[in-house]
Amino acid sequence: MATAELVTRVWIEPGCIVCDACENAAPTVFHVTDDTCVIRPDALNAEFTRPLTAEIKEAAEECPVDVIKFEVVMGEAPAATATPAAAKEEKAAAKADADEPATAAVKKAPHKPAAAAKESGKAAAKSPEKAPTVSVAGEPDPAIQALLRAATSRGGMAVIGKTDAESGPTAKMWEKAPASELPPDARQAKVLKASGETKDGVTRRGVLTGSALGIGWLAFGGASVVSAVAFQRFMMPNVLEEPDPRVRIGKLEVYAAMPPGEVNNDHKPDGFWIIRLEDRIAALNIICTHLGCIPNWLANDRKFKCPCHGSGFRQAGINFEGPAPRPLERFRIEVVDGFVVVDKSKKYQYEKGQWESAESFVEV
Amino acid sequence: MIESIWTHGLVAAGDSNAVKDAINAICQPHWFFILSNVALFVFLMGYRTFTKPAFALFALLAFTAFYILSALDPDFLSIIIKADNVPITMMMYLTGFFAWLGFRQSAINDTRMEQGQPLLEAGSDDKVLVWPDLVYTEMIALVLCTVFLMVWAVVLRAPLEPPANPSVAPNPSKAPWYFLGLQELLVYFDPWIAGVLLPGLIIVGLIAVPYIDKNPRGNGYYTFKERKFAITTFMVGYLIMWIVLIVFGTFLRGPNWNFFGPYEFWDPHRPAALLNIDFRDIFWVRWMGRAIPTEDWSGIPYYLVREAPGIALLLGYFLVFPVVLKHTVFRRMAVQLGGIRYGIMVFLFLWMLLVPIKMALRWTLNMHYIVAITEFFLNV
Repeated sequence: MATAELVTRVWIEPGCIVCDACENAAPTVFHVTDDTCVIRPDALNAEFTRPLTAEIKEAAEECPVDVIKFEVVMGEAPAATATPAAAKEEKAAAKADADEPATAAVKKAPHKPAAAAKESGKAAAKSPEKAPTVSVAGEPDPAIQALLRAATSRGGMAVIGKTDAESGPTAKMWEKAPASELPPDARQAKVLKASGETKDGVTRRGVLTGSALGIGWLAFGGASVVSAVAFQRFMMPNVLEEPDPRVRIGKLEVYAAMPPGEVNNDHKPDGFWIIRLEDRIAALNIICTHLGCIPNWLANDRKFKCPCHGSGFRQAGINFEGPAPRPLERFRIEVVDGFVVVDKSKKYQYEKGQWESAESFVEV
Repeated sequence: MIESIWTHGLVAAGDSNAVKDAINAICQPHWFFILSNVALFVFLMGYRTFTKPAFALFALLAFTAFYILSALDPDFLSIIIKADNVPITMMMYLTGFFAWLGFRQSAINDTRMEQGQPLLEAGSDDKVLVWPDLVYTEMIALVLCTVFLMVWAVVLRAPLEPPANPSVAPNPSKAPWYFLGLQELLVYFDPWIAGVLLPGLIIVGLIAVPYIDKNPRGNGYYTFKERKFAITTFMVGYLIMWIVLIVFGTFLRGPNWNFFGPYEFWDPHRPAALLNIDFRDIFWVRWMGRAIPTEDWSGIPYYLVREAPGIALLLGYFLVFPVVLKHTVFRRMAVQLGGIRYGIMVFLFLWMLLVPIKMALRWTLNMHYIVAITEFFLNV
């Protein structure tokens, strides 16, 4: 009588990528849903899975992420899966051993009852009851069902349920069993429970994450404040290279002698034109009010014309062509001891009515 | 004999004042802009004919001949031999070539589609190996680019000038060639619109295109027939409002940023009489026959009262046009796109259209600003 490994229990560990490979290999055992893969209810029965050993092993081998795990006993080989598949099965078993130590641990356990079953010659129905670790009965085990539900409820990311898995006879048995003899899910639950929550819901992970985040933000905030303070220092340089904004440009008579409508170009390098109006002189800023280019005085056209975008200003500084939105600005101008002094630190804008201010012109 | 005819013919054509005057005349801004648009639309309507190799070769030769003949004119020559402007010549040829290449393949594909034949791209496998195909191509491109830049650097002298003088601006002051289009926009718009808002809208709009336009037609193959609106809009935005404006800024803008024909001497003292008017002047003075309001009116600040007609005009443009377009020319598109995407599309489209509208208003009516709240630097 040929003996072979027979699958008595199959389950899926977290990490399914929904690839359909297992359902193709063993359609009666696996069911691939939209977001995960579950064991069909029928296949939770050892009687059901034993004849399908070859398919289940094939599915486990096909699985690209190796999340299909199964438990075997030695028993009488069904006719269909006798020798031809043996080499393949061995290979699959070896692979499973190498990939996942957990599987190896589970696989080792059933060898003892399998040997016993072989002696008695009754491999089929009774061997599961003799298994010392896990109760794999004919009817679905509520604990395993709960594990499966937990494993499949969040897209394959197993969360060990706190309801069914924590009650029921199997769960109680698992609590007492050493971790090395438990199936992976139950072991994970046990480890989680041992390392996880304290009475008031504080977890080690929570404490570590929280403190790391807190320290990180504190460090970031501190660094920001320090660099802001350091940057502030640059705003107050020790030495400020700034020429005197007051420029003395000569005697008033020189400018009073200009005919009305005339523009004195001599002080353009200082940043202003002296313009002679009907009854006064004023200092016109040379910066174009459009984008800050330097216009030129075109004596023939009687206008200031900007070479960058074509803004035009009349002799008094009023814009009339091109894109400039407002007239040129005027500087403060005064007479000190008969000399004209232009103060570039104070500006007067036409659109604000400041050209009427007595400081923005000198009467002649 | 042949040589002398050739030379005389060239010189005669180059010296022909009538021809030059005619070209100068059509290079007035409004004519140049209108003719560019007409040329583009004529080309798009007859793209299957105009992209035939014979036509393309003819256009290439005609343009080159025109360029060479123009170079006999000293004023034109002084523009094109300037080191800064060499890229412009390359840009015109390359833009023409790539536009032809794209539309040529579109024309072939559109004809094939009508005849039920497979497309040009059918069966072609896009995949190539990184090694050696891509790496070799990249290395060859790298070497050629290096050689090109070296030759350029040796042959064309860097246009070095005297030390900068903060009180003197070169006349005309031109931006780098690739920004001449933006500089042209600055002539018509307030700096924050032309320098910040419009470039921002160009970038945001280009980013938004794949979200607005989810039409899968034309993905992976050339076609014009299936994507007429999209391609025409892009071509107007790119060819007219970027390339043509660069050509504008290079050839037609002279001292004091005045317009000059391509064969005109850049005379900085040439008088150019312009007198800008704002829309408020037209509305209050010319139409209403009264002075511009300077007083607050029932709690509304005087500048809002003063600019009310311009604000109403702008709001009307941006609020009424989308609705009108939705029920007329864009009826089908509005349904396809849905409310939000249609709204964004029309908003970007109207901003794009506002640019030539504002330019035309400046050229024809000397329109300064439609809304001019200089108190807050808010001019449109």
